[in-house]
Amino acid sequence: MRSQSSTAVPPRWAESLLRILLSSKDRDSVSGDLLEEYRESIVPSLGGGADRWYVRQVFGYVVRAAWMWGALVAAILVTRDLLDMLLPIHYTPGVAAPRSTIMSWGLIATFVCGAAWHAWRTGHLRSGLLVAMTTAAIGGVLASAGTVVCLAIWHDPATMRAIQDSGGLDEALWGVPLLLIPIGFIAGAQGALVGKLAAIVYGCSRPNTKSA
Amino acid sequence: MADVLGSFEQAVLIAVMRLEADAYGRAILNDVQARLDRDIVPGAVHATLDRLERKRLLSSKLGSGTPVRAGRARRYYRLLPAGVRALNDARSAVDNIWRGLKWPLIKARSIV
Repeated sequence: MRSQSSTAVPPRWAESLLRILLSSKDRDSVSGDLLEEYRESIVPSLGGGADRWYVRQVFGYVVRAAWMWGALVAAILVTRDLLDMLLPIHYTPGVAAPRSTIMSWGLIATFVCGAAWHAWRTGHLRSGLLVAMTTAAIGGVLASAGTVVCLAIWHDPATMRAIQDSGGLDEALWGVPLLLIPIGFIAGAQGALVGKLAAIVYGCSRPNTKSA
Repeated sequence: MADVLGSFEQAVLIAVMRLEADAYGRAILNDVQARLDRDIVPGAVHATLDRLERKRLLSSKLGSGTPVRAGRARRYYRLLPAGVRALNDARSAVDNIWRGLKWPLIKARSIV
């Protein structure tokens, strides 16, 4: 069992995902630690469940890389919902209100910065894009949850009318959160490109300072 | 006193101190798991090590790989003087909180 486990191979796609996500400084050491734990502890104890454990760990690294950007996206969306609920304005079709413009650019900037930061850190274009897409997923879920909480607190007829005038409940609960996916993809791709170029010109962040 | 360490940060720093020359990611993970007596996610240990290194409480250097790691290098960590000071501060903060109490605490009397 020991000899079999010491050559066991975790899902290749998950390992590639992990290595894309890690900075050049941590790529070998962190993926090596995870592989060592997988082969020496997890395969002998979990057997067939070891691959699920490995995928869960990789998923944890992905979420950890994107949660802060996702929380920022959710904060922007919930702030906009709150403004529409508590300080309603009249929206004219075809005319962008200042708060809509600020929200849109805030979201785009968040996706671009998140993707650029990770692409620069890792030197991988795909890393930036992966973080942007995960940011969209986390942001969408958190924003929907935040809107539900706001509705649980403020649901008087005047507030519900204000929500209806600003696009409706459907738009706030799932329309805009779903729209984050294409926005995240397009803005994330641009940010990742900027980060990759920065990595080429200035080098990746925090290179190895010492080696044996 | 500077930034007070959280209990997980203390566990990681103490593991690095205890493991001395063998303090690399997986060994630290196993030590922390054993001391805290619960499952720890490797990502949490790696994130904490990275944070402690950025705070300049730890330093690290790459070592050699082993076949079980597919030859990938281990990163070995070492406690810096600032890390020792931070651990001493954390311990004295806890001691100050507990000063004057006998441990283990006896059951509190209910006040009606």
